[in-house]
Amino acid sequence: MVFVFCFTVKHSILATRCSVRGKVLSNIFQYRTGSSRVTNNVTDNLTDWETLSKKKKISKAMKAYLERAKEHDEFMKKQHFEFNVGKRHLANMMGEDPETFTQKDIDRAIEYLFPSGIYDPAARPLMRSPEEVYPARKAAEFDEAGRPHHFLFYTGKASFFKVLYDAAENIQELQKFEDKVIRKKASPDPNNSLKLEGSVWFTKEQLEKTLVETIEDIEYTNFKNVMERLVSLPYSYRCKDFIEQFRKPLTTQRFALEIPKPNYDEDGRAFITTYECLRKKARGDVTIKSPGTGNISINGKDITYFEDIQSREQVIFPLIFTGMQDRVDVVCNIEGGGPSGQAGAIRWGIAWSLRSFVEKDMLEKMQVAGLLTRDHRRRERKKPGQPGARKKPTWKKR
Amino acid sequence: MLTRNWRILSRQYSQAVTFRTNESSPQQHNEKQTGLFYTLNQDTCKSLFSNGGFPKSFLKQTKTFTETAIMIRQPALDLINCIKSTNFDAPVIRYVLYGEKGSGKSLTMAHMIHYAHEDGYLILHVPWVSEWLRRVPRHKEMSNSQTHEGFVDLPLDAAAWLIHFKTQNQALLKAGELKVSEEYVWSKREKTEVGAPLSELVEHGITRVKYACDVIYALVREIKTLSNKKQCKTFVAVDGFNSFFYPLTRLNTPTKRKVKPEEVTLTTTFLELTKNDWTNGVILLSADQLAVPDDHQESYFPRYLLRKKGFEHLDPFVPIEVGRYTEKEFLSCASYYRDRLWLRGPPETEIELKFTSASNPYKFMEQCAPL
Repeated sequence: MVFVFCFTVKHSILATRCSVRGKVLSNIFQYRTGSSRVTNNVTDNLTDWETLSKKKKISKAMKAYLERAKEHDEFMKKQHFEFNVGKRHLANMMGEDPETFTQKDIDRAIEYLFPSGIYDPAARPLMRSPEEVYPARKAAEFDEAGRPHHFLFYTGKASFFKVLYDAAENIQELQKFEDKVIRKKASPDPNNSLKLEGSVWFTKEQLEKTLVETIEDIEYTNFKNVMERLVSLPYSYRCKDFIEQFRKPLTTQRFALEIPKPNYDEDGRAFITTYECLRKKARGDVTIKSPGTGNISINGKDITYFEDIQSREQVIFPLIFTGMQDRVDVVCNIEGGGPSGQAGAIRWGIAWSLRSFVEKDMLEKMQVAGLLTRDHRRRERKKPGQPGARKKPTWKKR
Repeated sequence: MLTRNWRILSRQYSQAVTFRTNESSPQQHNEKQTGLFYTLNQDTCKSLFSNGGFPKSFLKQTKTFTETAIMIRQPALDLINCIKSTNFDAPVIRYVLYGEKGSGKSLTMAHMIHYAHEDGYLILHVPWVSEWLRRVPRHKEMSNSQTHEGFVDLPLDAAAWLIHFKTQNQALLKAGELKVSEEYVWSKREKTEVGAPLSELVEHGITRVKYACDVIYALVREIKTLSNKKQCKTFVAVDGFNSFFYPLTRLNTPTKRKVKPEEVTLTTTFLELTKNDWTNGVILLSADQLAVPDDHQESYFPRYLLRKKGFEHLDPFVPIEVGRYTEKEFLSCASYYRDRLWLRGPPETEIELKFTSASNPYKFMEQCAPL
């Protein structure tokens, strides 16, 4: 590819050297063709003005669109009206001021009035403004004469194919640039490379939402392939803006800002108490004191409070993971539940309190190890007609 | 040639490592050697502990390690110091070992028995009282006592204990300096005369199992008088002593009546022995949670385990706590296990094991087994 390119360049240089005369000629020719183009444009404009002057004559497509748009607008208006009325009712029911009733208050009120135990949050009752509930619609893609604005209108998915088109164009441009650099005998600057660790490509749904078009699976894979190819080029940082339009950043360390500062007791030791350490039915609080010697006290006993090894392992895991087992003291009060629930609650409490005493990279490691994640699982209820939550009666032929 | 080289090599090795001591005589053990392991001679081990004395799990471990190594720990050293400075003209002092399950009471006792053996004591060692009172195999031999009205004999257990006594005190009994001071008439034809050696009495108990319990009773009385007369010094060791004071045993008479521990002749004998009405001896007892049923194991302190009766029986006594491993002992034990390939893996394993076992010796050994 590069080789071919070089060849053509040489060829063109030769050509310019050879004939100055020819160049002049061609210029003249260009003038001619240019003038003819102008006349063409004039005629185009003329026809355009014609259609505009005949304003009454609206194309069928535009007509249909206008009808649909009007219908939609009316529908949305109605929905808005209903939403506002509903909001006022809700505010009155909750005994609050309807003027200052926000979306947050609505959610709270709905949760209070229609308590739902449905597992999937998306299936629970909700009340949102109509813009959020009904999908956005595209504005008219053609003018009143029925001529499309977009040059890819007739592909049916104009914005999607525009993305692919732009990507391809970018690829070509980058390749050209690469050739240029090679010709200059320079190498790509390693500091300038594109960093994509912190983000991922849009999922199909996200892409559909941004483009307001439905996409087939195969089209989404094509999109991904093209974008990957673009990213794999050495100078891809040059079209960083374009690439980042279609990438979503991974969730960042949300808790990094919320880490509490330790308090100091009368001995001058830093301590952090985490309340509400929950797991299964166990509830308790954990206090971590630093500096310490690795003493663990659970309800006034040492680690022998737990008989089995598994529970003990659970309790010491965050300490050993962070290497703090000799540097802090742990005091826990825990009640309710069984050994494994209590051990799990203490584990979470210790890990959560240790955030104030470890470095940031260790914090990330803890996050990855799942130490800072709360385990929300609860006991599943027994179902009638079967011996347990999931267990079915023994199958018997008859 | 090979074996000699091997021996030299192993000697060099044992001098190089930090968790062993070459001092195999407990008399020479001192504070410097805490946490170090010493190896028991095979022959002594056989004569002292062939009929019990080591916990089962430890016995298994010695088989695996092909040696009997005991850690020198602070309670044993304290005991040795106490015994060394005892006035033997005064009534006997009773020491009570106590501590959590698996903290090494029985092994401390074994260490002390080795010490007593080295020091020339006459040893009366009961490996595990519950073996008599709480363990009921399919054919447990029981009979009503001939001499004591309303009492129960355990002839086979008594005979087994006599054999244990005989093997432990072979040297002293063979010397034949210990003589019987009274005449004992067992039946019309059998009697033990005054001046007969003590071994004859023991032999009689072993051969005529019917009289074993009475023989033990007589033996205890004889040993008490012998000690009082300074003809021998006596070391009494009873493991699981609190079992004598638990209200019930698991034994049933042929008429399906539950037997209380005080109705067993062996109990009376050993309670007689542990009174402090004699001199020139040492009494080492242990109060163990494992010697009583599960529902009465709330605390490991002697007052709880011995109950009021036992506590008053023993009062005054010297309590000696056998605790968990200290940091030093734990590391030494871990390196010993590593040496024996009982523990492998990265060195961080110890940190974790220390927490999960809570430095409890038995738990530590158990948790190392699959590693």
